[in-house]
Amino acid sequence: MAAENSKGEVNDLRRMTMIWVVLSVVADLLFWFLVGPHVPPGRMTETAVNNQRTFNVLLVIALPVLIGVWVYLGYAATMWSAKREGVAESVGGEGARTNRKVQVWWIALTSVIVIFLAGYGTFAVIAEHGSGGGEGPNPVWSPSGATQAETAALSGSSSWTPGHVLVVQVIGQQWKFTYRYPSFGGFESDKLVLPVNTEIAFNVTSLDVIHSFWAYQLSVKADANPQLNNVAYTETKHTGNFTVRCSELCGLWHGSMYNFGKVVSSTDFMNWASTTQSANAANTANLPPFAWTYVPDANGASGGWYPDGTVTPYSTVETYGSKTPAS
Amino acid sequence: MTETFDKSRGPSETPEEREFELRAQIGSIWSGGRLFIGMYTFLLASLVFSYFYLRSSNNGMEWRPHNQHAPLYYGWSIYLLTVAAALLAIYGQRRLRKGDVADFQVAGWTGVVCGLVALFLQIWEFQKLSFYPGASGYSSTFIGFAVMNIMSLVIGTYWLETTLARSLRLRRELGGDKPELSMAATAQEFRAGVASMAYFWGFLAIGGALLTAMFYVM
Amino acid sequence: MTISAERPTDVVASISAPPPSAASSWTQRPGWLSQHLGTAIVGAVLGYVLGHWFGNFVSSSYPYIANSGQNAIADALGLSVGVLGWLLGIGALNYPLAKMIGREGGEEPAVEGWSKYFRYSLDHKTVGMQYIVGVLLFMFTGGLLAMAIRTELLNPTTHVFSPDTYIKIVSEHGTIMMMMATSIIVGPLGNYLVPLMIGARRMAFPRIEAFSFWIFVAGYMVIFSALPFGGFPTGWTGYAPLQTQAGPGMVSYLLGFAVIGLGMMAAGFNIAVTIINYRAPGMTWSRLPIFVWSILATAALLTLATPVLFAGGLFGLLDKTIQTSFYVTEHGGSSYLWQNLFWFFGHPEVYIMALPGFGIVGEIMPVFTRKPLFAYKVAAAGMIGVALLSFFVWQHHLFQSGINPDMRPLFMLTTELISIPTGFIFLVGMGTLYKAKIRYEVPMLFCMALFFNFLIGGVTGVFLSDVPVNVTVHGGFFVLSHFHYTIMGGLLFAFMAGLYFWLPKMTGRMMNSRIGKWHFWTMFIFFNLTFFPMFVIGLLGQPRRVFTYASNLQGLNDFSSVSAFLLGISFLIFFANLMWSMFISPVKAPANPWDSLGLEWQTANPVPPYNFERIPVIMTDPYRYSEPGAPAFADMGDGLTQSSSTTSSDQA
Repeated sequence: MAAENSKGEVNDLRRMTMIWVVLSVVADLLFWFLVGPHVPPGRMTETAVNNQRTFNVLLVIALPVLIGVWVYLGYAATMWSAKREGVAESVGGEGARTNRKVQVWWIALTSVIVIFLAGYGTFAVIAEHGSGGGEGPNPVWSPSGATQAETAALSGSSSWTPGHVLVVQVIGQQWKFTYRYPSFGGFESDKLVLPVNTEIAFNVTSLDVIHSFWAYQLSVKADANPQLNNVAYTETKHTGNFTVRCSELCGLWHGSMYNFGKVVSSTDFMNWASTTQSANAANTANLPPFAWTYVPDANGASGGWYPDGTVTPYSTVETYGSKTPAS
Repeated sequence: MTETFDKSRGPSETPEEREFELRAQIGSIWSGGRLFIGMYTFLLASLVFSYFYLRSSNNGMEWRPHNQHAPLYYGWSIYLLTVAAALLAIYGQRRLRKGDVADFQVAGWTGVVCGLVALFLQIWEFQKLSFYPGASGYSSTFIGFAVMNIMSLVIGTYWLETTLARSLRLRRELGGDKPELSMAATAQEFRAGVASMAYFWGFLAIGGALLTAMFYVM
Repeated sequence: MTISAERPTDVVASISAPPPSAASSWTQRPGWLSQHLGTAIVGAVLGYVLGHWFGNFVSSSYPYIANSGQNAIADALGLSVGVLGWLLGIGALNYPLAKMIGREGGEEPAVEGWSKYFRYSLDHKTVGMQYIVGVLLFMFTGGLLAMAIRTELLNPTTHVFSPDTYIKIVSEHGTIMMMMATSIIVGPLGNYLVPLMIGARRMAFPRIEAFSFWIFVAGYMVIFSALPFGGFPTGWTGYAPLQTQAGPGMVSYLLGFAVIGLGMMAAGFNIAVTIINYRAPGMTWSRLPIFVWSILATAALLTLATPVLFAGGLFGLLDKTIQTSFYVTEHGGSSYLWQNLFWFFGHPEVYIMALPGFGIVGEIMPVFTRKPLFAYKVAAAGMIGVALLSFFVWQHHLFQSGINPDMRPLFMLTTELISIPTGFIFLVGMGTLYKAKIRYEVPMLFCMALFFNFLIGGVTGVFLSDVPVNVTVHGGFFVLSHFHYTIMGGLLFAFMAGLYFWLPKMTGRMMNSRIGKWHFWTMFIFFNLTFFPMFVIGLLGQPRRVFTYASNLQGLNDFSSVSAFLLGISFLIFFANLMWSMFISPVKAPANPWDSLGLEWQTANPVPPYNFERIPVIMTDPYRYSEPGAPAFADMGDGLTQSSSTTSSDQA
């Protein structure tokens, strides 16, 4: 590997490089054009589109790496096997021990790839408002209008018109998800219906143990923690159905903790929301006032009970957005 | 403590090999003592982390409602006794290095008494708490601290006691009336062990300052 | 021998022997009346009964607890005192107690033959053999549970188990396997080989070493005791508040972690100190075999990260027993506290499970390529780099958890940075293969497979560390597949390579190469067929630890399950090979069957009680293969200095 430049050595490296380049280009192209557009989580929301793109970019970089190592291993395994006729004896010595050039190149190359990936990931997560991941009670990457919408939701003065941020609360409990719509009187439903072309602010919390709200096709995932409001954003782009699953082990029926939601047109959504609001009005009156977190009382630690009497958000520090604390 | 070499079953040892083994054993005691302090630091750091994490989270405004405080006199007594034991251990170790076994033993046994009293107070303090364990974040971490402190005191006092008990049997090797014998392998190893023990006590005293301040003062 | 003596030898000669110790005590008498596994079991049972009674006694004045039917105090005390009784029974406490009356360690009874494996042995070679049996016991238990999981997942709606049983199985599988994996190489091969490789006659702290093994077994039993207690529903991660909600099985989990944590700390402590102090003369840091480097890095992680697990388990136990509220958010605690403590330990632990595997391939590949290890210093630097960085990545497990997102880019960066030192290992492996004449013995096959598997595991790790992609793959089968690729595809393959490679040294018997190749190929193929589909299953939206899943994923799940069963059969082949080659039809191993230059092969076989007739003096670098005229690695002091050039002939 060192100074001596025998013909065989050049041939080995050249052959490997040729195989590698051809295979990598073919694999990358095949993946990008044939598989890439179908990679989960699809294209239903802005975050889905972007997370799919990030996945594809990562895989396009990863494929040549994988193929490079595999080609090398395969080549070595077949061409330098002791079973093969005429394989030269191994040569030891200083040349086989180190090769500064190769080492420096390897380290430099891996560092560049890794730092590029970290930079790209950082850019993506900031540009996409957390990429649909849970940002906790005080999101740092919010889309415009989200903070106002959330503040309005908590103060009970929330309403929604198409084109604005829709605040939806996701409440996990053993073992189901329910959803509250503060912009429509705070009714609670076990159906998740969303308007299309709308920025959604999911406020995820739990009544008992940790769940994880995973709206698969929306590319939203946020852990539902008791006593904590975990905010995740996405922008719906297409109508359709999606699956919601719990992706954090939450006890016996964790596997059965799923339901389905749909993204519909703004008019359909308005119809559904106002119908449900009036249909559920009697129930809504019995619910605790809309808050970011709820504390079940001692008897209802895991049963979805709410406390008696008037309830205020349990903790003032848990309210949304320390930047603009709700009064 | 490293174990003694089984000479009945071992191969013949050249003097150089015996010297090598001795130096390796002393080195092991030395680096083992430091590594143990390192491990213990991570253990206590978990507690410190928990304290500040819960304090800054203040979940449900329940970090420290009603201004809960552990009894201050107990805290100071335990801490001062720890410091006293540590100082005695370090002092004893220095005297031992000079060959004064009696000083080491007097200081050491006093240190053991300090450790035992501190241990007793730390346990008895459970009777005197004005809060129950789950009353708040503070009360929880305080119980965690008390348990860890019991552990520290047991380890430290046990370690100190074993060196003292050993020194009673090693009187001849440790010098005293025949200082030239203190170069014996057992004596060298013993002193290395005592040094590690004294370091550990010093570590407890310094770490205890932070913990005492956190749990009793702040 | 060229150890410089600083003092005249007559002083050394005048060293007085330690005073006679408790040699006359009954514990010193070999025979069935002395201490062994049987007395340990008796001690454990008595201790459990005593502790349980005491727990009930102290809590009897609290009707809330006494009438609840779930007295965690009694459970915890029963198990703790049981562990204490176990240690007392096996004889682990003889020495600490004797020290209190000033007695230094007595000589252990010279037990020969089989019975020494059932005793508190101070010989690192015996402990290594004990560990092999211990980890295999762990592994087969966990493996059976894995078979049960895959059986349940054959059908999305028809169930073999109740959800309760299923979640117990999943949790127990995860916990047992994780705890097994922390010790699977450090325990057996680390303890056995490190002194041989560094030219030491003994470990620095043989009693701590023996303690690490016996408490490891106790921890296994404590974790396993969760099943009769009703299991725990939290998976191996044990997240609160589910942990707080769970029944008495949770006590076994928390205490089991704390107990095994003690064993991990003890093992790492002893090995780290031994490597630092007992290296033979001439064994400078740059001459240390790469396996020893990897074990040193692992030992550093074991000693420094495990205390955090111990603390986390202790806090959890306090929550369960005396009702503190460390992890109870409503009462001033925080469920994130557990997540932070757990993963602060948990991520270094992941590298505890990866580094020894790197060490093994680094050690074995030069032997079968007859080439020096390529870029030795890069390999050592890689291991240190991985070990250091692993303390700064833990929050990538919490990307979606709702913690403060400010730090997310930082943890994404540190996590991805760790693939640079990991990449060093690939550089080393590929450089060593370059233009070599590769002999495909069974250990070499496993090494090559490690590179194949770990590459997939490593690259998917980069996907997981990327926050946007993490949204899709977190908590799903993708991550499950990822860590099976790294731990099983990496560590377990390396363990197998190590067993096939070193068992001839450890037992004097060759593993059957023909069955070994069957084992390798079935394991390699079915491992990949089992776990590769899981990447797809995960991407298609199946969360971890579910027992109901989308019906359109049944095909892939069934494929994975059937492959898993065949993978299970592959382990039976391994077991058969082990039985066949070790007991049924043993073939005596040559002194150096692979023609290795390693120091461990230079000493006699079977290894004498004190390893080396003379303490060897290390002359040169460890991997001077195919280098005519290179000096021998070590001067064994027997006058037969072996030159590496004589061993370069190919025996394949």
